[in-house]
Amino acid sequence: MESRDVPCPFCGCLCDDVFVTVENNRIIGVENCCTLGNAKFLSKKRLKHPIMRKNGKWVEVTYEEAIDETARILSDAMRPLLYGWSGTIGEAQVVGVHLAEEIGALIDSTTSVCHNPSILAIQEVGHPGCTLGQVKNRADLVVYWGCNPIEAHPRHMSRYTTYADGYFIDNTASDRTVIVVDIRRSEGAKVADEFVQVKPGGDYLVLSALRAMVRGKSDVVPESVAGVKKVQLQRVADLMMKAKFGAVFFGLGITMSRGKYKNVRNAIELVSELNRRTKFTISAMRGHFNVYGFNEVLTWMAGYPFAVDFSRGIAFYNPGETTVIDLLERREPDACLVVASDPGAHFPKSTIEHMAAIPTVQIDPCVNATTALCQVQIPVAITGIEVAGTAYRMDGVPIRMKKVLETEFPTDQEILERIVIRIREIRADG
Amino acid sequence: MAEILLKNAYVIDPISGINGELMDIALSGSRIVEEASPKAEVIDCHGFLTLPGGIDSHTHYSGTKVNFGRYMSPEDMRAGRTARRGPMHITSGYSVPTTYGNSYRYSALGYTTLVEGAMAPLEARHTHEEFKFTPLQDSFANTLFDGNWGMLRALEDNDIKHAAAIIAWTLSAVKGFAIKLTNPGGTEAWGFGKNVSCINQTIPTFDLTPADIIKGAIRANELLHLPHSVHLHCNNLGTPGNFTCTLGTFGHVPDLNDKRQSLYATHVQFHSYGGSGWGDFCSKSEPVAKMVNLRPQIVIDMGQVMFGRTTTMTADGPMEFNLYRLHHDKWSNHDIELETGSGIIPVNYRKKNLVNSIMWAIGLELALLVENPWQCMLTTDNPNGAPFVKYPEIIALLMSKRYRDAEFATIHQDTEKRVPLPAIDRELDWHEIAVMTRAGQAKALGIIDIGKGYLSPGAEGDIAIYPLRIDDIDPSADYEKVIKGFSQTEYTIKRGRVVSRRGDAIIDGENTTFWVKPKVPAAYDMQHDTAFQELFERYYSVRMSNYPVQEEYLHRNHCIETETDL
Amino acid sequence: MNVTITFRNRRNRRNPFIPIEAEMITPDAFFNNKEICVGEGNRTVHLNELADVGIEGTASSVDEIEILIRGDASLVKRVGEYMTGGTITIEGSIGMHCGNFMSGGRIEILGSADGWLGREMQGGEILCHGDCGDYCASGYRGGRRGMRGGSVEVIGSVGDFACEHIAGGDVLIHGNTGDFACAEMKGGTVTILGDTSRVCANMSNGTCYVYGCAAEMIPTFEKRGTINHEGLLFHHFRGDVANRGNGDLYTARFTYLQ
Ligand code: SF4
Ligand SMILES: [Zn+2]
Repeated sequence: MESRDVPCPFCGCLCDDVFVTVENNRIIGVENCCTLGNAKFLSKKRLKHPIMRKNGKWVEVTYEEAIDETARILSDAMRPLLYGWSGTIGEAQVVGVHLAEEIGALIDSTTSVCHNPSILAIQEVGHPGCTLGQVKNRADLVVYWGCNPIEAHPRHMSRYTTYADGYFIDNTASDRTVIVVDIRRSEGAKVADEFVQVKPGGDYLVLSALRAMVRGKSDVVPESVAGVKKVQLQRVADLMMKAKFGAVFFGLGITMSRGKYKNVRNAIELVSELNRRTKFTISAMRGHFNVYGFNEVLTWMAGYPFAVDFSRGIAFYNPGETTVIDLLERREPDACLVVASDPGAHFPKSTIEHMAAIPTVQIDPCVNATTALCQVQIPVAITGIEVAGTAYRMDGVPIRMKKVLETEFPTDQEILERIVIRIREIRADG
Repeated sequence: MAEILLKNAYVIDPISGINGELMDIALSGSRIVEEASPKAEVIDCHGFLTLPGGIDSHTHYSGTKVNFGRYMSPEDMRAGRTARRGPMHITSGYSVPTTYGNSYRYSALGYTTLVEGAMAPLEARHTHEEFKFTPLQDSFANTLFDGNWGMLRALEDNDIKHAAAIIAWTLSAVKGFAIKLTNPGGTEAWGFGKNVSCINQTIPTFDLTPADIIKGAIRANELLHLPHSVHLHCNNLGTPGNFTCTLGTFGHVPDLNDKRQSLYATHVQFHSYGGSGWGDFCSKSEPVAKMVNLRPQIVIDMGQVMFGRTTTMTADGPMEFNLYRLHHDKWSNHDIELETGSGIIPVNYRKKNLVNSIMWAIGLELALLVENPWQCMLTTDNPNGAPFVKYPEIIALLMSKRYRDAEFATIHQDTEKRVPLPAIDRELDWHEIAVMTRAGQAKALGIIDIGKGYLSPGAEGDIAIYPLRIDDIDPSADYEKVIKGFSQTEYTIKRGRVVSRRGDAIIDGENTTFWVKPKVPAAYDMQHDTAFQELFERYYSVRMSNYPVQEEYLHRNHCIETETDL
Repeated sequence: MNVTITFRNRRNRRNPFIPIEAEMITPDAFFNNKEICVGEGNRTVHLNELADVGIEGTASSVDEIEILIRGDASLVKRVGEYMTGGTITIEGSIGMHCGNFMSGGRIEILGSADGWLGREMQGGEILCHGDCGDYCASGYRGGRRGMRGGSVEVIGSVGDFACEHIAGGDVLIHGNTGDFACAEMKGGTVTILGDTSRVCANMSNGTCYVYGCAAEMIPTFEKRGTINHEGLLFHHFRGDVANRGNGDLYTARFTYLQ
């Protein structure tokens, strides 16, 4: 059986043109996809049964028992943390938010460790953006700042920018100028018409200088800013002002370097300033395929995109205080539910130690680094391959993920719903 | 089936021709019926004012743009937080509340039906997702076509039927309700940072003027026999002197439909400005209202501005950018490929500000100068002019000259020289208010046939009972009582169930999404049109097969099929 | 009226690291005889469960109320929130959000303060003898106005983003600041006796004095020459030009990241 136009459940590009061939309920062919997506479609390893630690050993348990244990852990906790969410669909995230609200939990997503600063910046100055098709059809200048699309979003350039055909772009090779800004000469620098190398931690200063130049105030800018010569800065500013439609894409290179959201804010304000002269947009290169979806869901339900504390019966939001890393470093949570992400693989050591010290439950199809920190793991169907539902692309376009394989495994959503029901039963029993 | 008998209801039901009668209303299941069985639950209304459930024919409460208004405004979110209580979820937000916040607060005001003012087709799925979490109101989505390349190309070729076919395909695909044009041509021009300043100016990328787009869309709309007319946000919103553009636009509207208007012009307050700049900015509500009075084919809504903080959000990207340059506060913009744009900025309308004071006056003037209340709906273009929670105050302002004068004394003192408001004595009565907040909407939206906006047997069981004994109140003097009474229903009934009681939602609710599906002959089915397919394949960033909103997003829905003249 | 609140050791509680939310610990609440409840995670408990509370005397106005906080209050948040008068003295260190939105009265902290000390403060005084965390005298997320009035004095050093969005009032920091002090400054006066980094980024108005070194100066400030201030020579900068700003930054020394 062949399925056309399958959205890829891997990165925020959410390419929806993948061609999947299935035989005997197994994927045997994947076309149009990049290697990252391919690996996801073709991966076979998974956990077969729920597991639970008993007397220090993993034992296989029933779903019933695993859910019961999870419900007990969560209803008992005074400061439960529900974390992850970027690898599942909106329909499951909704249940997660309701659960958090009901038990007075903290809820946060992987946003907290990637584009958290982008959101803080947007909350200060807004976000002049657009859908990716707008860039594809119109942008004659593309800026990649502190990101590496070739490695992290392999089809970004071919689908939406450098190599994509567009309505107002006759020849994508010659009609689009590409500027790459980074602290080191990355793969992307090779395709750039202009490569700007900034000293580590210097992005903010360079952005300020460009803003002043776009305002026609070049005279205040010193001869060199964070390793970039003024002449080059002026050249870049001129390229930007000359463009008919400029599109800036940025990544963790500026969100996670010194100054964090101030860097992003400065980039946004540069783009806002450029709009007084021409057309410019800016977009975050969001990582997981549905990391943006969680931000959307939590926002319409609770008013904030991530890091919400429901413990006082209302929604409280204050990144730095209610964000996952800060909470774990301060050892606040006394129980943790991890859904559709793998904090064990990349969180700082002290936070992982705390997760291991408290009862932690993971809902995930596969054994991963987080498994080692858990008391319980509940395996589920794979979203976007075995489960259909809603994901939001990095530019906010919602796309329905498809189900191409049948499965016996329950979905994230079903497991979460059963946990909610079980918690209510436990509470009713007092 | 559950039954309810409302006793001693003091009913105003303009569509059924009832103007203040003490009567009983029986409900069975979701509908109003002739009589209830003895098993019916009896609710004594104690002579309280009983109206059909409120209908907001133009409000922004669901979808990408609205959610971005929340996303970018933690300061607004914290301003309106409420705790979990009974079946009510937590809510956040003042000017852009969370979905539950919208739903509970609208329900407390007696509203049971909402029309999302602007849904971008490409992101329609998002709007429908939020509808699901607005459980106490039925939802309709105005669908944006102002910069739709397919439609614009067809109009360029002067092929109205083809344009209509594209509209039909898109509306059915995205489960939309009506054609919305926002700054037609201007949002497309904004794709390259430009705008249009006159309805007769050719737009940069298509050989069309805004007037061509408006006229074409109106004709296409009638070919498709859509329940609602074209819903237009005129060009030049917010610009001094824009009333000429508004009058010019109205002048182009033919009278094509005998059941309703041919054009619904939204938030006309923002389009009734005189002056050549901010220095001589003034009200031009009089010529605009006069034009509406002369042309029954036009219905408008107020777009009333009320003082205080709010968030502006429209598909009108260039206009929002101009506002940003004025305020230098946060600015978000979100262009949508091949379709439209959008922008968001927070604002604070202040009494000390002359322009804001004049805007406040203009909205009221329009409502008072348009003679026929069926031609002017009460709105704030929520949340652009003010959050909808201000509706009770607006009702009171329209019903009381004394209240208007008292307010007028507190605004910028130069306002008097720029607006006709102080000279207007008209005070609207209860019946007129009922028209402007529900009956008129039902007629303008073309949804009386599906049971909306009235209380006779057969109608949907959507009812608002306000703690107001209107014979005991002189709205002209007791305006505080009017505000209080309209701020919180005694009961709000939705589809035959009490959903809200004295301001609190009492059940989870389950709404219905209404959408249209014009029946087009095979020759006009765009699904199989190769040129249309190619447009998708080459220029959209999603595949055509992934574009339509799937049935899964329409948990409970009602499809309005229309016969077409294609 | 003298109120003494002595926090008991929380070692024997289920999780001693859960912060306590104590927005009710204000002179106003005691003046109004309110029952003082605090949040401990997702439970609400009576203050008595966590602290010994002693009350002596009476008060005929808020200003006559003196609150003394003893014991370990370093995880107690929101003390003095919205206070309008009276005094709070904290013998040790205090948790986050101390003195948020306060409009009158005085808070003295003998130890250190965690983040967001005096956030969105409108009036009154805060004196912190130790160090202070990030976002001292700042605003809330969403970038409106930070501190608007009153005064904050920190004898030690402060963390990052001190005085972010500040729009009024006076802040005196004896020690150093972290990165991005006075970012987005809109008004008020901030004096930093120690060193700072990327100070006054994107400022639009207000005045800032740096007696130490302003490292990594924002490159978009206009040099206005030197002035003599309290017998010392300061470089005068105007900016942030990138933001059409008209703020004044006076610094004894500065460096650029070139
Ligand atoms: S770019 Fe991202 S979404 Fe596209 S195929 Fe590769 S991993 Fe999948
Ligand atoms: Zn609108």
